[in-house]
Amino acid sequence: MSSVQPSAILATRYSRALDIAVVVVVAGWDLAGAGGELLANLAGYRSAAVQVAAWLVLAAVVTAGSVLLLRGRGGRRSSWTMAALAAAISTVVAAGCPRGHMLAADWGWGIAGWIGVLVLLRRPLTEFVVFLGLEALATFAVLVRDGLTRESLAAFVTVLSASVVIQLAAALAARAVAIPARQAADLAASDAAAREQRVISARVHAARQVRWMAVRETVEPLLQDLAAGRANPADQAVRRDCAIAAARLRRLFAESDDAADPLIHELLACADVAERRGVAADLEAVGAIPAVPAGARRVLTDLAITILSAAATRARITVAAAGDGLIVSFVADCPAGAPLPSADGDIAISHQRDDDVLWVEARWNVR
Amino acid sequence: MERQVTIAIVEDHPVVVEGVTSWVNGDPARRIRIVQVTSDLADLGPEPDVVVLDLELGGQMITEKIPGLVAGGRRIVVFSAHVDPGIILAVLEAGAYAYVTKEEGRDHLVETIVAAAGDRPHVTRSQAQAMLADTRPGRPALSAQERQALLLWFQGMSKASVGRRMAITENTVRQYIDRARMKYAATGRPAPTKDALLARAIEDGLVHPSEVAVYTSWAFREAT
Repeated sequence: MSSVQPSAILATRYSRALDIAVVVVVAGWDLAGAGGELLANLAGYRSAAVQVAAWLVLAAVVTAGSVLLLRGRGGRRSSWTMAALAAAISTVVAAGCPRGHMLAADWGWGIAGWIGVLVLLRRPLTEFVVFLGLEALATFAVLVRDGLTRESLAAFVTVLSASVVIQLAAALAARAVAIPARQAADLAASDAAAREQRVISARVHAARQVRWMAVRETVEPLLQDLAAGRANPADQAVRRDCAIAAARLRRLFAESDDAADPLIHELLACADVAERRGVAADLEAVGAIPAVPAGARRVLTDLAITILSAAATRARITVAAAGDGLIVSFVADCPAGAPLPSADGDIAISHQRDDDVLWVEARWNVR
Repeated sequence: MERQVTIAIVEDHPVVVEGVTSWVNGDPARRIRIVQVTSDLADLGPEPDVVVLDLELGGQMITEKIPGLVAGGRRIVVFSAHVDPGIILAVLEAGAYAYVTKEEGRDHLVETIVAAAGDRPHVTRSQAQAMLADTRPGRPALSAQERQALLLWFQGMSKASVGRRMAITENTVRQYIDRARMKYAATGRPAPTKDALLARAIEDGLVHPSEVAVYTSWAFREAT
């Protein structure tokens, strides 16, 4: 199970609904609100063509901004490019309005603010406030150029407060809804991660427990016998049991290592223990050795431990790629040794004894 | 007693020279006599039957010097710490008689030298490993029996044990292994040593001229 999916789906659903709402509001305002105002005053503008062109450009900005928002694209640069374009066009629109009736005929100011809501939705709120301020200043500058009167100033403040309050409220609302959505998504993500972590920990713990139990079965009684004096370290059989126990412990450590080739790594660990016991053990590999699952590796290393513990002076381990699988072989001087199985799971084992020299071959195939 | 085989040891580690000397002196039949020990290829005298060559002198690999030595009529046995199959194949390809790793020295070096002096192959376990590991496109095609004999030999069995395992005689095991080696002598760049190995193999009945049409031309050129 993945920790990313549920939270990602949740977050996407919330923010997508919000994005669509913003797109619908802004596109509606652009078409109906601004477009209606433009048509109503079309004859009064200094140039109707410029106004229509401005409306088309702003419609294009709304489209581009909507696409970027819904696709989750766009960063600071594209957001502010669109915002700056909207502010510039709206200033052109304001400048083209009939003198003395600017605020009545200016359809650009309102839509520019809404475009700001749209394209700066993913930006911090302060950036949007700065945009609204700049936009208002530009419009005010046009108003001053046309000649500021008490009436026009009052109208400006009225329009400003009405439009800014609505736009700011929309931007705030969008962010307010987005924050719990993100928090819910984050919570879901951390929940899932914690759940997954618990599962992994439990599995690792269980695997360790199994390995540890396997080792304890042989190591603990041996240590107790040695401590109680029941086992004599001078006894050959006790020495062999100790060698086997030491090799199993060493393999336990090797199994938790992150080696490129775990089988070779674990066999080397077995050979290492035999060398400490004075057995000249060497390991050779030939060909591209396939990856062997843990269960089969355990059978092969168990075989290595059994044979190496019985070896008197020398042992050779070879691993050879063969068809789809591999052949692990052992040649060792074992005057006597534990009986060997002829098969274990999906591993076929054959052996031959020539005087003291034992040859054992284990074949494992990828199924 | 046959005439002793004379060898030169080209080696820059005194301890290795001492090891080789002790193995040579430990041969009950005393088949080998060391006539020169040097760490410089340029000092090599003309007389030894076989040159025991360390592949790394003064920290430099000298694999590319082997074709020149072989062309000058030297029988080369490489005795090296390197165990990489690629290096072993390159050395055999260059015309060396045999490759013995330092771990194999005690068990194989004396026999390998004696075999080389008689223009006969001696396949060490590391050579078997290199042949089994060979995946080059132009590699010789080994028969299933040859591969099996090489694999069991590489695993560390004696040739007698390999024979019992394969239900064939020890002599047949030797033939399979040596024939695999001959297929390597018959491929790649021609060298006088390869010709001599093949000529002797044909003489010994190990390979038949008709089986080895590709290389009989140069084998016979050398033998006649």
